[in-house]
Amino acid sequence: MIGRSLGKIYMALIIVFLYLPILVLITLSFNASRSRVVWNGFTLKWYREVFENHVIMSAFGTTIALAVLSSLIACFIGLFAALGIFAMKKRDYRIMLFFTNIPLLNADIVTGIALMLWLVRLFPLGFTSVLISHITFNIPYVILCVLPKLEAADFHQFEAARDLGASSFHAFIKVMLPDLLPGLLAGFFMAVTMSMDDFVITYFTKGPGVNTLSTLIYGEIKKGIKPEMYALSSLLFLLVLIILIVVNILMADQDNKKDNMERTQIRRRTLMKKIVLLFMMVCALSAALCACAGNNASDEGTELTVFNYSEYLDPEMIAKFTKETGIKINYEEATTPEEMYTKFSSGAISYDLLCTSDYMLKRLIDEGRAQEIDRSAIANYSNIDPKFSDLSKSFDPDGKYTVPYFWGTVGILYNTKETDGPVDSWDDLFSGKYRGNIIMQDSMRDSFMVALKYLGYSLNTKDEAQIREAAQLLKDQKSDVESYLVDEARDEVVAGNAVMAVVYSGEAYLGHEYNEDLAYVVPKEGSNLWIDSWIVTDNCKNKDAAVKFLDFLCREDVANANFEYIYYSTPNTAVVQSMDEDLKNDPAIIPSDDSIKDCEVYEAFDEKTTQLYNELWKEIKAE
Amino acid sequence: MKTNKMRVLSIPYIVWIIGFTLIPLLFVVMRAVTDPKGGFTLANLFAIFDPIHRKALILSLLLAFISSVICIIISYPAALILKASRFSNKKIMIFVLILPMWMNFILRMLSIQMLISKNGLINNLLEIFGMNKMSLINTPYAIILGMVYDYLPYMMLPILNCVLAIPDDMIEASKDLGANRWYVLTKIMIPLSLTGIGSGVTMVFVPSMTEFVIANLLGGGKIQLLGNIIEQEFSVSMNWNLGSGLSVMLMIFVLITTLVFGRTASQTDRGFVI
Repeated sequence: MIGRSLGKIYMALIIVFLYLPILVLITLSFNASRSRVVWNGFTLKWYREVFENHVIMSAFGTTIALAVLSSLIACFIGLFAALGIFAMKKRDYRIMLFFTNIPLLNADIVTGIALMLWLVRLFPLGFTSVLISHITFNIPYVILCVLPKLEAADFHQFEAARDLGASSFHAFIKVMLPDLLPGLLAGFFMAVTMSMDDFVITYFTKGPGVNTLSTLIYGEIKKGIKPEMYALSSLLFLLVLIILIVVNILMADQDNKKDNMERTQIRRRTLMKKIVLLFMMVCALSAALCACAGNNASDEGTELTVFNYSEYLDPEMIAKFTKETGIKINYEEATTPEEMYTKFSSGAISYDLLCTSDYMLKRLIDEGRAQEIDRSAIANYSNIDPKFSDLSKSFDPDGKYTVPYFWGTVGILYNTKETDGPVDSWDDLFSGKYRGNIIMQDSMRDSFMVALKYLGYSLNTKDEAQIREAAQLLKDQKSDVESYLVDEARDEVVAGNAVMAVVYSGEAYLGHEYNEDLAYVVPKEGSNLWIDSWIVTDNCKNKDAAVKFLDFLCREDVANANFEYIYYSTPNTAVVQSMDEDLKNDPAIIPSDDSIKDCEVYEAFDEKTTQLYNELWKEIKAE
Repeated sequence: MKTNKMRVLSIPYIVWIIGFTLIPLLFVVMRAVTDPKGGFTLANLFAIFDPIHRKALILSLLLAFISSVICIIISYPAALILKASRFSNKKIMIFVLILPMWMNFILRMLSIQMLISKNGLINNLLEIFGMNKMSLINTPYAIILGMVYDYLPYMMLPILNCVLAIPDDMIEASKDLGANRWYVLTKIMIPLSLTGIGSGVTMVFVPSMTEFVIANLLGGGKIQLLGNIIEQEFSVSMNWNLGSGLSVMLMIFVLITTLVFGRTASQTDRGFVI
């Protein structure tokens, strides 16, 4: 008796372990605050808003269409493959299983990039390329689920049916398939699950404008996951739970009737009909969804493919631009300049416009990937503060290629309640005073910048000794560092998991919104001043449309909407002038000229320095 | 039944494998044995033995091994309990195990991060009960926790399949013949469920070896697994040749391990079957 209740407790513990994180996510869907680390009371509004959010809903549609279609096709190919493999000789059988396992053995990122490199040679990336990739990694699950059922199947019935005059096909459908169906359904279910959960492979093989929930969530980590996303995930979870319970009751019902063979046979057939019907409904649904997706894609007329950092432009402005000009925008996002470079230079997607940071701009311009822009053709360019022509000198000396979009500094976001004495120097990160409470940027360039500036060197130094000194400093500092983060750094300080973090100025403003005790400073030794600007790429066929888009972005109302969407510093003087006083005085929004006098803009490195940086950064991280 | 005609059915699949598995793989291998200028080299492959890469490889092996062992330790008693209980509806159990996967993977990991972070829910609870805070986040242990959480179903399902398939009569018979519980477990149950354990280990070990998202989110960027290094070579350092070389070596290591376990595991018994 004791043993039995111990057993129950044990099972209960496992279930708690598996479902506790799920419970947290469901709870977050009722949180009135937009930040995941602040609880502002109970609300149901996200459940309403999620259905009004067309970005999330269209990503949801794509995700479902992708999962269902790829799993259905994988089931077809996989079922036949399993039959074929089953009939093979032992040696061939093993070889086939080996190849079947390859997609499961490879690191996702390698599979993703390899597929991207290959598929882009066959046709332009889009929904189809993701579909093919998903089918590729789904087939193994189907085969591995169907094969055991085949091995356990009773072939005498099949032979008997054949002897009684049924055709092979007929006998297979009527006799074999019902035996294989549970395996096939399990395979389908696994395939759908895997397809819905995949991020890495989808990310690399998707075409412009194709977004799944996974890629959307990944892009959102930076600004904090939208609460609507939690609501949608919770709903999806609940839906699957209900479906599973219903299916389970149906099947349990089935099992109870086992005593009566004949009835079981009949039941089985009716169950099979039900399942086939369900399949067909699902097919119809996904086809309908695809038709919707297809409608969007086949819009005639001018199109622009735009590449930007994630959460860096108010999505409503895209709709507005299309409404005003009739030009359709395929909007694509990435989180780091390097990621952008990888996707852009692979040629997988032909981007027309691209917004990235200073040193990456320099690299792209040097490689001849940017077209010259006539700034006088951009009527609203007069809104851009002329000082940016000067600040942009390092990557665009003659002002021929770039249009500034946002700018800012890198500094320290800290909790005034947890620090004693003023925080105004990088020294607070290296002195060991806040040991275990520091978050550094998980970005090579930014971490080196902090060390180089602290040591009093230029952040663009190419002197090997200086760079090595900085690397040693970072290595020694590592034991004091709580974590190296990019996007979540702000949330961690807000939540009180760290006292200070190296962040971009825009993050600081939002941090202060969530927690009033937070303050932001650009250390007195100086820091990095960054400028994110737009270029028109050499791929762009319709330069007029691209210039129209740039002009649109410089317009006061649009620039203001984008500013209020992300709260980074804007180079648009018209927007700055109409700002509230407290915004104007916030050093995170508008850095004073004094605070940026020792700040430098990143320059692109030569091959040798890049390699040295890469090597040393890897050493620091592996320390 | 096993006819040539039937073998023909696998042709679409073979075409698919060649088209979308082997050719892309060839691209990776090509990159792995060339330098950025296109000349032949084996340096990218041997780079795995550089101190930093070797360290990451060993750490990856270690974490994947520990995660697999913990998964076995959790799963096996659970399977025994389920077998002993009258509650033998394993379909429900399979659903219970797979259901969490319908919450997006990144969201689940962020949720674990919130639970175990310094000022997180668990630490707050501990504080209320007057216990010491634990510092799990940003350590290798947090990564192990994440891996165990994510991959436990892959271990549980095949073991459950195997253990439930052992006939009760056999256990009864051995008890009648005088075997004690321990004897039944070590001489009958475990040997008969080795295939399940074997396939479970492959299903947990392989993804743990190539993982990088868990290490990033729960390791605080302080712990470099081989997956992280490969990811960075591709997406940050943009040294695709080195990245390809390392991933080819990783594949070889993974292959060796699966071959070792594959001897005990029947390849077809992956345990998703309802």
